[in-house]
Amino acid sequence: MSNIEQTAAPAEFDRLQREDGAASPRRGLPLKIGKRGLQLLSWFAPVALVVLWEVLAQRGCLSPQVLPAPSKVIKTAFKLATTGSLLNDLGISLLRVIAGFAIGGAVGFVLGTLVGFSRVAEAAIDRSVQMIRAVPFLASLPLVIVWLGVGEAEKIFLVALGVTFPIYINTTLGIRQVDPKLIELGRVQGLRPLELIRRIILPGALPSILTGVRYALATAWLALVVAETIGAQSGIGFLAMDAREFLRTDVIVLTIVIYALIGVAADAIARLLERRLLAWHPNYGGAR
Amino acid sequence: MTLQVSLPLSSSAIPGPAVIVTNLGRAYGTRLVIDNLNLRIERGEFVALLGESGCGKTTLLRALAGLDPIDGGRIVAPRRPAVVFQEHRLLPWESLWRNVSLGLQAADARARSATALTEVGLGDRLDDWPRNLSGGQAQRVALARALVQQPELLLLDEPFAALDALTRIRMHDLVRELVASHRPGVLLVTHDVDEAIVLADRILVMREGRIAFEHRTKGDGSATISRAELLAELGVVASRSPN
Repeated sequence: MSNIEQTAAPAEFDRLQREDGAASPRRGLPLKIGKRGLQLLSWFAPVALVVLWEVLAQRGCLSPQVLPAPSKVIKTAFKLATTGSLLNDLGISLLRVIAGFAIGGAVGFVLGTLVGFSRVAEAAIDRSVQMIRAVPFLASLPLVIVWLGVGEAEKIFLVALGVTFPIYINTTLGIRQVDPKLIELGRVQGLRPLELIRRIILPGALPSILTGVRYALATAWLALVVAETIGAQSGIGFLAMDAREFLRTDVIVLTIVIYALIGVAADAIARLLERRLLAWHPNYGGAR
Repeated sequence: MTLQVSLPLSSSAIPGPAVIVTNLGRAYGTRLVIDNLNLRIERGEFVALLGESGCGKTTLLRALAGLDPIDGGRIVAPRRPAVVFQEHRLLPWESLWRNVSLGLQAADARARSATALTEVGLGDRLDDWPRNLSGGQAQRVALARALVQQPELLLLDEPFAALDALTRIRMHDLVRELVASHRPGVLLVTHDVDEAIVLADRILVMREGRIAFEHRTKGDGSATISRAELLAELGVVASRSPN
């Protein structure tokens, strides 16, 4: 994942991601399609692709070794979930990500907060963090394996490493970007330092921090996929590598789909958080 | 800070100075922005401070607010003053009553905020958000936030400058009423000569870091000094004076 992209403005990011701009006037064909119509249209292409894939696979145009039919993948999913270890593996993968995210998020948030508040902490910490950040974190995997071996610690460490930087950068940035006029107001109103942080600085930094959380979630999954593919005895990645040995393309496709679904779910959670926590923000939660 | 459980009117019962400034000095580099300035504002007195840009009037207000350090002299104020800025400076992530109660150390903060919001005509919008307010409404909330602290000195830094003309007139009336009932000492920094005439008991003109001109009005909003005279003090020669 590219490092430069990690700090896109939340507003812009959201505009790219959201689909609720149907009411906005757009130049183009003067076709009158309602909001529901557009919603349906946006689902047409993906559904058509899946149907085409199914038809081609059923007719034997696609070898099951290359790409098994979607229906076959769904059947495999049910079979693995009921008789196999799918749910167990899924749980293990989720636990790894949650643990890595919690550790990396905490480290990134604490360091980011220190650097955001203190010029001294910035001088002491920031250059080192930026230098480590310059290394694509996945490149450090061989070194991590040498340190920690192939096991849970190595996977959690890699996830944490990937999560730390986006959280760190966006926390620092968020704190720096809090309107100095509001901080001045806090002083005028006689807020004590802790109150100032709680009522003005952290809420002001929250949009940026949540943007960091969203990027960090994406990075966390990337780290997990790589760590589980390199060496694992359990987890979704293990399932995929095991299936590769036996040429079970249906299982491989299933694991890819699961990764995608979890990614979508994580993003949805992040967006829900933004809507709940940033209800006051004109770019997030709707009008109240 | 002590808990004040008295009624808003009580502070006016004890007459006395809201602030005394003696031999105040403030320099940016070698440039003296405030030069040996003396000023006394009584409780209940409304003082308007006029002056060209860069004459030091905002610097004086910020020094009184404790926002900028001073380089010489003394400022004696009984309590922390309240400030209303040109921008409303409401926290967008907090409801109106939470905004008003910011920094208020009281168990009944919500009730007090409700009273203050009612006084500025927004008593029905306690749980509303700042983004749903117009410019004038937001500035009224800022006024409530200042008054809920029951200040003995209220500092107004061009609080009406960003408002449209009609809203400004309504705000003048509101401020006059509120000051009459709460009776803090007020220092209003403004560019607007008419505003000074309408609101102030005493009009000061600041030049080169000093109080260069002082005029006491009757305090009832009627002009006892002409616009042209004040403008002349400000270095503006009025070619078409309405007076």
